[in-house]
Amino acid sequence: MTIAELIKDAAEEAVGYTSDECLKCNVCLTVCPVARVTDLFPGPKYVGPQAQRFRTGRAQPVQVAGTPVPLSPDVTVDYCSGCGWCTTACPAGVKIAEMNSQSRARMKAGKRPRLRDWGLGQTDLVGRVGVLFSPISNWALANRPIRAIMETTVGIHREAPFPKFGRRTLQATWKRRQKRRGTTAVPGPEKAVVYFHGCSANYYEQHVADAAIEILRRNGFETIIPEQVCCGLPLISNGIYTEARQRAHKNLDVLARYARQGYRIVGTSTSCTHTIKAEYREMLDIHEDDATLVANATWDICEFLLDLHEQGRLDTRFGRLDEDLPYHAPCQLRSHGIGLPAMDLFALVPGLRAADMDHDCCGIAGTYGMKKEKYPIGMAVGAPLFDKIRASGAPEAACDSETCRWQIEKATGTRTRHPIEILLQAYRAGDAESRTQSGQPAAEGS
Amino acid sequence: MPSADVVVIGAGLAGLTAAIAAAESGAHVVVLAKGHAATHWGPGGIDVAGIPAASTPRDGIRLLAGEPGHPYAFLGDDVAAALDWLRPHLAAGGVDYVGDLDTPLQAVPTSIGGTRRAAILPAGQAAALSPWASGERLVVCGIAGFKDFWPEAIAASLLRERIWQGGSRPASVTSISVALPGLAARHNLNALEIARRFDDPAWRATAIAALARAIAAVPGSGGRVALPAVLGIRDHAAVLAAAEEHLPAAPFEMPLVPPSLPGMRLYAALRAALIRAGGRVQVGEMIERVEHDGQRVTAVVAAAAARTYTVRTGALIIATGGIAGGGLVAERDGRLIEVVLGLPVEAPPVEEWLAADAFDPAGHPLEKAGIRTDTELRPIGADGAPVFDNLRVAGSTLAGQRYIGERCGDGVALTSGRRAARSLTAVPAGHAAEPGSKRA
Repeated sequence: MTIAELIKDAAEEAVGYTSDECLKCNVCLTVCPVARVTDLFPGPKYVGPQAQRFRTGRAQPVQVAGTPVPLSPDVTVDYCSGCGWCTTACPAGVKIAEMNSQSRARMKAGKRPRLRDWGLGQTDLVGRVGVLFSPISNWALANRPIRAIMETTVGIHREAPFPKFGRRTLQATWKRRQKRRGTTAVPGPEKAVVYFHGCSANYYEQHVADAAIEILRRNGFETIIPEQVCCGLPLISNGIYTEARQRAHKNLDVLARYARQGYRIVGTSTSCTHTIKAEYREMLDIHEDDATLVANATWDICEFLLDLHEQGRLDTRFGRLDEDLPYHAPCQLRSHGIGLPAMDLFALVPGLRAADMDHDCCGIAGTYGMKKEKYPIGMAVGAPLFDKIRASGAPEAACDSETCRWQIEKATGTRTRHPIEILLQAYRAGDAESRTQSGQPAAEGS
Repeated sequence: MPSADVVVIGAGLAGLTAAIAAAESGAHVVVLAKGHAATHWGPGGIDVAGIPAASTPRDGIRLLAGEPGHPYAFLGDDVAAALDWLRPHLAAGGVDYVGDLDTPLQAVPTSIGGTRRAAILPAGQAAALSPWASGERLVVCGIAGFKDFWPEAIAASLLRERIWQGGSRPASVTSISVALPGLAARHNLNALEIARRFDDPAWRATAIAALARAIAAVPGSGGRVALPAVLGIRDHAAVLAAAEEHLPAAPFEMPLVPPSLPGMRLYAALRAALIRAGGRVQVGEMIERVEHDGQRVTAVVAAAAARTYTVRTGALIIATGGIAGGGLVAERDGRLIEVVLGLPVEAPPVEEWLAADAFDPAGHPLEKAGIRTDTELRPIGADGAPVFDNLRVAGSTLAGQRYIGERCGDGVALTSGRRAARSLTAVPAGHAAEPGSKRA
């Protein structure tokens, strides 16, 4: 390898090369939720920066003398859930979780992915089919014998949380609404934002999209919903980078057109927004200008609302919500590096006693906790969180990530909502209070 | 962009102490840290002043306070009060500390077969603190398959008289290694993994019974047993109590290479105290810059997945560590840079850096490099005047100390952290942007 090639390699393999900074102090192990509960995963250091030394050059698995095929130094890397806590805690700036994801992808590169992993990666395809046949698909997913067969044949655990498919996609609903409304001029970037709904709001949780659209409107922003595909994170998590890159490019093409005009892109799925912000560039190595342009235009919805508040532009006419609200900050939210914006917004709601559950991970980690062999690990990872939420006795909990919400709801039986659903409820309470004050009869929930 | 009354950068002993003290006074506190380190790398004791010439920590403080430019010159009188203040916070987190400023400094054996002078230690290491009675034995007990603790090597080294620094020593040192259930087959067995197993009451009972049998088989009776520091993490107090009850010799833990369980327990207790006081800790924060308006710091800007993350603040405490902790970095031309604000750094001349013996027990001259402050821990410029009004510096970032060589880093950290917070929060009411005022 020439010097020039080495330099090029270092620039492109920025993540892998951070292993040079590793002091082997194993602080990453102290925060790893998976290693905390299972011996199957030795910990981030062992499969990450320590193993990285044996992944030579363009990180090909090293050839072990006497073995017929090149071996990856540590195949247990597949037990990494990708939560990212190791990267967060590393005092030396090593990108451990990112390194592990890339190693997993390399391990799987060139092989046909397991049908299960491929299928879990195709959230948009699964969503489309599921919505199309929603009564049947919802029945099937709730049917215990079918789930048992799914577990045996496909490897998706029978108890894994699955949401209900919607009757139609958000995209279809939105087009229908637009048609009814007739063509109206799209407002400029000061009066409108682009909404990245992700798969969850498109196929399963349209109520989250509705809450986002209504809250944005209250704060002076119309919503633009362009055609979009899955952000690609489920594919990245399952080590299927080639298809993830195709999704990324499709989204970047659309989103960059808006970003260039100054529109901001707001998302309700904190893992999608994090993927667009960070992983297109860092994990998928997409280094075109558009990737940075779009990343810098992308906001998690709570981050966006808190920013409005800091500018004094947030409508803060929240009514009283007299309740305890356990809150779980998802791993992907932490990787945004934006603090806990939902908690800061909850503090604006009179009477609301939001409590950060202060637990590392709920265990689902996207699709990780759905897999047959990883489901028990995920449940053990989340157990202290579930105990805390149950012990709180609160009627509902809040969390910014959909798969975490499904996991918490399934494990605790506590209804778990997106923070903006709570905020919308507070706005409505505020409307009711102001109607009462102005002498009009209050209409509950209108 | 959230806002705080006080932002603390750094989550070591100094940063967390400062944050707790500020939060206690009612300030809204956010700790921003790059990662975990200082606590997780250390042995978990509180080293106040372990220099060879000192008989007790109080004596050591007096001696160090007499050295030109040492932080104890203005912090020394405050150490006792800071310790008394901290102790209940740690106890509430399940970590009791024994020893005080008047406890004689004792040569405590280490896991590489040396000794270190200490007086204030967590309960798990307390049995190492008392002088050795005549005829008293020491059993060094390892765990089979655990590669971070070599009982034979430790025992062989501790048999040498000079290791004990002239103090009392055990009459005999014996090493044993015990197989604990389910561990021998583990490939990457580490301290944390063993500690987590000790948290499980059933495993704990079996393991302690096995340890007890093995120790009882060693000739002699009573005495003390040195174990690797793996006695539990969440439920350490219960594990220690069980070990004390069932082992035929008084157990004490020997801190190991990172991640250090005693240090992690210390971190957990400090963090819990901060959360109880209403503060917040955010790790993974790489500080990009600090914004200021004239002499006042106004905001801290950290890197984020995209754009940056800004926390508006009424005051800032820098507790990022010294050259070892990353609070100072050296440029190739011999300049030392303070990483957050580029504050003026006081440092020994570059010629002295390499002239010194890197393993000199007195420490490296570069340890002394740091930020010069006034007695309220405000960084000062060449003219002696504070550089910023609402900025404080605490811990190993302070100039004039050898925080490792003089074994004074913990004492300086907790005393300066507490004073930094108190000097910020004691500003008279009515000063609009000062901490303690209501957030907008």
